[in-house]
Amino acid sequence: MTATLARHRGALLLFAVAALIPIGVRDAYFLDSLVLILLWGALSAAWNVAGGYAGQVSIGHAAFFGIGAYSAALLGTRWQQSPWLGMLIGVLLSLGAGGIIGYLSNRLRGPYFTLSTIAFSQVLLIVASRWRAFTAGSEGLPVPFRPGFATLGLGHVAWVYVALVVAVLYWSIAVWLERSRFGYRLAGVREDEDAAQALGIPARRLKVIAITASAALTSVCGTLWAQYVGFVDPFYVFSIDLSVRFALNAIIGGLGTALGPFLGSILITSLETYLRAALSGVKSGFTGIYLIVYGLVLILVVRFVPEGLSGLAARLWARRSRSAA
Amino acid sequence: MSAPPPPLLSLAGVTKRFGGLTAVRDVSLEVRPGDLLGIIGPNGAGKTTLFNVIAGYFRPEEGRIVFDGRDITGLPAHAVSRLGLTRTFQIVKPFGNLSVLDNVMIGALTRRTSTREARADAERVIGICGLGPHAPARARALPLALRKRLEVARALATQPRLLLLDEVMAGLNPTELGAMIDLIRRLHAEGLTLIVIEHIMAAMMRLAQRIVMLHHGEKIAEGTPQEITSDRRVIDAYLGEEFVLAEA
Repeated sequence: MTATLARHRGALLLFAVAALIPIGVRDAYFLDSLVLILLWGALSAAWNVAGGYAGQVSIGHAAFFGIGAYSAALLGTRWQQSPWLGMLIGVLLSLGAGGIIGYLSNRLRGPYFTLSTIAFSQVLLIVASRWRAFTAGSEGLPVPFRPGFATLGLGHVAWVYVALVVAVLYWSIAVWLERSRFGYRLAGVREDEDAAQALGIPARRLKVIAITASAALTSVCGTLWAQYVGFVDPFYVFSIDLSVRFALNAIIGGLGTALGPFLGSILITSLETYLRAALSGVKSGFTGIYLIVYGLVLILVVRFVPEGLSGLAARLWARRSRSAA
Repeated sequence: MSAPPPPLLSLAGVTKRFGGLTAVRDVSLEVRPGDLLGIIGPNGAGKTTLFNVIAGYFRPEEGRIVFDGRDITGLPAHAVSRLGLTRTFQIVKPFGNLSVLDNVMIGALTRRTSTREARADAERVIGICGLGPHAPARARALPLALRKRLEVARALATQPRLLLLDEVMAGLNPTELGAMIDLIRRLHAEGLTLIVIEHIMAAMMRLAQRIVMLHHGEKIAEGTPQEITSDRRVIDAYLGEEFVLAEA
């Protein structure tokens, strides 16, 4: 027990800090950043189940995010249903969609799998943006704010805790994956599918399970995000940009690690929020410059810390312990 | 006189084609429990293809494969392995980013549900294979000889009843070769049934009880090592006159 605590002290410290911040800080702008850091971190952790642990690099996870966002938004606006019901329906639809895409692209490896996921999310984008009668098309869908926990109409402080619960839950799933039979065998599939099969591992089935679970987890966050932001735009929720963000946070933070996606999200989300505020806007004329910095950070990380921020942290920690000893 | 035990593995008329090329043609053979069967043949003779067919990686166009009384023809590779028929790869396929221990543990988890038991199994197998000092090392960082041993260790951890070894001795220096031969002998002595593909005739002569010779996908000879090395067809197709003179 103490060994487990010690191994995860970095993550536990991080989540504890996140839990304490709203007690002292009431600045809406700061709390908003914290909610987004936790949500984007959780989304990357969800992506990591397929992309990092199973080696199924998807650039189409926005599909599941969009399904979650639209399920709750449509149920809420058209049938006045609770977003929790919408979340559940989104999860069921994403399980189905994840299962189908996992099954269909089962034989595809590497970049071919990635391309098929992009195609899938683009199909959903077209459906959502063209089916005006149902989805309101490209105008997007406003999500009405109805105060209360049952309707997820919450203030910033409550949102921090909702996002924190999801973040800790997803992080725990990753920790479980690293220690469980399923996780070990999945790592085998990721490293070499043929060799895994020779050891009696049903590689294809494990890959479908991983992507289906990853899809459902992504969908939950899609619902939360839509309720938090209050507006669903098909060109955003189904965008490749969004899929890339899920992947990049995990890659920068550390592929196939429990804490990595959250470290990546802390760096990227805060950097983006800061740069957007500081450099873009009409008066500065630097609209979009944050994208350049974003790219630069990615290049630097991949060049100098290919194992990601969590690997870097582990290395520094080991060096410190050695010099202390 | 008791009847001979039923074969653990039997192939009947197995044929595998790739388009116009017949890689394995009408091969029949039997392996009894406790056998150590060698398969030899020139490059491209269809040895590895035969392994791929037996282990479920390729579905044969014709013929039947029966393992332990059960028809496994066309069964997927993971199901074949689960039944106790495990193969290694000629071009080793370690889980490169994982430690040696984790590699072997993944094999052990085929029979174990608890990771703790699997780790204990893996440590035992690692010891048998002489990989003990390398257990925490990344598989990718090992030299070839150790990666070949890891390939064997990982397969052994699945507790197979029949182990197919595909050129686990190729590329080893004489010391490493000796260690590998000792390992295979020890496994065989403990009751494991093996089929071994190998080019190194000297090793094969020391190991195999029976040898099957493949040429252009066909089985052209089968017998004890002595019978095989004096078979005219084997000498012409594979060994060459120098081998006969050197042996003499």
